[in-house]
Amino acid sequence: MIPPGSLALLAQGAAISLLLAAAAIVGGTALAIVLAAGAFSRIMAVRAAYRVYVYVVRGTPLLVLALLLFYAMPALDLRTGPYIAGTLVLIIYTGALFAEVFRGGVLAIPRPQWESARSLGLPPLAMFRKIVAPLVTRYTLPPYINVCVMTVKASSVLSIISVWELTLAAREIIERTFAVFTILGLAAVFYFVMCFGIDRLGRRLERHLALKGFAEARA
Amino acid sequence: MIAIRGLRKSFGSARVLHGIDLDIGDGEVVALIGRSGCGKTTLLRCINFLEEYDAGEIRLDGEPLWYRATPGGSRQRVAEADARRQRQQMGIVFQQYNLFPHMTVLDNVLLGPRFSQRVSAAEADQLGRRLLARVGLEAKMGAYPAQLSGGQQQRVAIARALAMRPKVLLLDEITSALDPELVGEVEDVIRSLLSERIMMVIVTHALRFAREVAHRIAYLSDGAILEVGAPAEVLDRPKDPSLKEFLRHVR
Repeated sequence: MIPPGSLALLAQGAAISLLLAAAAIVGGTALAIVLAAGAFSRIMAVRAAYRVYVYVVRGTPLLVLALLLFYAMPALDLRTGPYIAGTLVLIIYTGALFAEVFRGGVLAIPRPQWESARSLGLPPLAMFRKIVAPLVTRYTLPPYINVCVMTVKASSVLSIISVWELTLAAREIIERTFAVFTILGLAAVFYFVMCFGIDRLGRRLERHLALKGFAEARA
Repeated sequence: MIAIRGLRKSFGSARVLHGIDLDIGDGEVVALIGRSGCGKTTLLRCINFLEEYDAGEIRLDGEPLWYRATPGGSRQRVAEADARRQRQQMGIVFQQYNLFPHMTVLDNVLLGPRFSQRVSAAEADQLGRRLLARVGLEAKMGAYPAQLSGGQQQRVAIARALAMRPKVLLLDEITSALDPELVGEVEDVIRSLLSERIMMVIVTHALRFAREVAHRIAYLSDGAILEVGAPAEVLDRPKDPSLKEFLRHVR
């Protein structure tokens, strides 16, 4: 038996989870582009800063990061609610993961492609827009989607800093109704549907961007 | 014209070029020949600065390229923007074509004029179509590189290099990766350029082709030019013993 009204609440929670993940994916991607550019900087200090950022953020549990920022922001006199802190934490976290994905993509560009582009005397912005971004997008789509899917699930951690989303909604319903397995099962289904949707979207993008004339591996 | 003076380069402790002097006159075609590892490709890549070099000078129509002397007597790389401008005066074609796989044939050709030289879209488009017609690939304009044969890809690469209206064309073993039956179509394109009087530096193992198109042939061995002169002189009356030996082996 599904407790009355719980489906609607879970759906609302899921909508917020999806919104949090979307903000994290958009913000994290933007952050990662800047970070990954830093990874290839000519200035050693910038490259070192990149490594420190990635190691620290990737080497810390998301839960700890969330608590840290949640308590640190008021201490810094930033009066933000848990939603802002939560979104920020997700952006910081996915930014590090996306940055490594992009760095891998840049490393995968064959040297002759760089040489061709350089020999045409392309200015940096055109080089990025016309060569680097399109190639890196194609090379990194599967691991990129991987991180996107993970972000949806990682947003559940924010329930610990009182961000009301799918997991917190489920816990509240459970406290009221004690329908532990029904509600958790339903929450899991909601998460799965969201992740599955992103997976499908990723596949469509992959097909759309597939390099014409190459044998396309379809799994 | 191009004037190369005292060009030296090492990879670590391996000296690959020591003291190259070479002039390429306006409209002149010079072929670089020699065994693998003799430094001919490195020399070509130094000319458009895909390789840095340790010492020496390269001038194009009098302008020193890539480095400028500092008051202290040492040298300094020119600013990136200057290097880009200097590169735009040269076109290079690689052994493995190196077309951009995510762009159509026409976009590959347009890229340089459109974004390096800021030619208008309409003008670049027209130029691209004309050059593709010239290499006989107008019909493949909308195709992607991987849909073409090696010979066709290499012809696109030549069109891409020409699109910058370069003063000099650098050709790095452009037929070495091709199936034998595709070599002719690429060589034909180069032959058709001879009337344009564009400077060319051709690194090649195809001595028959070098003899036909080059005004002069330079023979490199161990990073030095040991013999240079008209094809008939270098190929038929070689003086250097290692060149004699080399010619015996390739024939």
